[in-house]
Amino acid sequence: MNDSGRKTVSQVSVCHLVLQSLANVGRFVRTQSREVQYLFAVLATTLFLSAQPRRWRRTVRAMFARQVLFFGVESVRFILIVAVLMGISVVVQLGVWTGKLGQSRQLGPLLVVVVARELGPLFANFVLIVRGGSAIATELGIMKTGGEVRVLQAQGLEPLLFLVLPRVLAMALSAFCLTVIFVFVAFASGYGFGAFTGLANPDPTVFLNSVFKAVHPFDAIGFLVKCLLPALLTAVICCTEGLSVEGGVMQVPQAAKRALARSLAALFLTSAVVSLLTYM
Amino acid sequence: MNASPAILEFSDVTIESGSHYESGLWNSSFNLHAGELLLVRMEREGERLPLADATEGLVPPTQGNIQFLGENWQRISADRAAGLRGKIGRLFEDEGWITDLEVDQNIMLAERHHTRRSEKDITEEALQLARVFGLPGLPRGLPESMRRWDLRKAACIRAFLGQPAFIILEQPVRGVYADLLAPLISAVQSARRRGAAVLWTVTDLKIWNHPGIFATTRARMFGSQLQVEEKES
Repeated sequence: MNDSGRKTVSQVSVCHLVLQSLANVGRFVRTQSREVQYLFAVLATTLFLSAQPRRWRRTVRAMFARQVLFFGVESVRFILIVAVLMGISVVVQLGVWTGKLGQSRQLGPLLVVVVARELGPLFANFVLIVRGGSAIATELGIMKTGGEVRVLQAQGLEPLLFLVLPRVLAMALSAFCLTVIFVFVAFASGYGFGAFTGLANPDPTVFLNSVFKAVHPFDAIGFLVKCLLPALLTAVICCTEGLSVEGGVMQVPQAAKRALARSLAALFLTSAVVSLLTYM
Repeated sequence: MNASPAILEFSDVTIESGSHYESGLWNSSFNLHAGELLLVRMEREGERLPLADATEGLVPPTQGNIQFLGENWQRISADRAAGLRGKIGRLFEDEGWITDLEVDQNIMLAERHHTRRSEKDITEEALQLARVFGLPGLPRGLPESMRRWDLRKAACIRAFLGQPAFIILEQPVRGVYADLLAPLISAVQSARRRGAAVLWTVTDLKIWNHPGIFATTRARMFGSQLQVEEKES
């Protein structure tokens, strides 16, 4: 083969490689977008069903209460500990640095931005993913492989209504309540520690004034979106992963692992997008 | 010929076996009217069949139609199908318990979901059935902590609770023959008297030939072929 022939062959193979890579990227994007579409379809259906009072039968209500107890109430102690520690470190750090820069008046806005807008929703959802997300995927995966989902269907209990809806809404409610608790406890512990060590103004009204002045109505929207959207997505991701387990019980840990990874990705992605939209 | 509309109607139903069942169902036709009992003898090597699931519309037929209370499972919404399944009492072949719920909650789950009857009313009926099946009260505790024969009795309570229009009994007395057969026959007879249709599957010849089970229709499974004998008048 002469030089021009070799060149043509190598050009063709490079071209083939590029096209194959593009095809792989395209396939990946298509698969991911299909999965995202599916998740949002499940979420939309669940929210639509939850808005209909007739769907809230006593069995669904009982399951919802159970899930709130499991996700929300049982996570309170852990969230309290995290919030106290986080409050001390963040509030004290901000207090010290704003003092050093002569910007003590900026303490309130900074606290609202760091604790209420960013850390609160992020930590509450993180705790829920670790405690509740893996539990949902594992529990539903075991139910699916053990034939329990089929038993429910055979008795006329739709999995979407009886298993998915209570978990999704309980997760969202728990995320909201845990975030509120986190923010209040973090502020209180930070202020208490700052006042005790002399790093912050001991007058609570000064502290509260600086915080409340920094809160805008728009923060409430961002706060709600950051609390609720990752929680809703986490619950839907974990439910769909659990319920899509096929084959034996050995597939359940794989599904739980996938659910955790996707939930975490959804959490950080949502958080980043909402932050960008808030500041832009 | 029964003049009342059929509770369950299989018309030339073919179902592929898939991975879930040991065998499929081929070109099967039968109907069940109010008060009738279809006794089906299964082959020992082919116990896991789609028959019960198909009657509940959980497995779509590849060919033919399955109608329950005059409605084709394939043509109704998921909501309607769930509602219709609430009218079916089933004793599952493989027990079929939600492991996370206590046995008494399992028993009353469907009735609590589909009806607005008071808790007291449901509990009283369940207690009454518990006594019929030889239990002193409603079994509490998780299914895994119960003895197998008590679970079988609990499964009977669940199948008959709420006076279902159609009852599926998948080998109900397997392993608990002596204890359960008499109360079960009595419960089946009273359910039939009030107008329920019953599908009862067996592998045991003793049950198949039992003189106390007055089956309206008898059928045998040969591979995937359901051979229905003539209805008794």
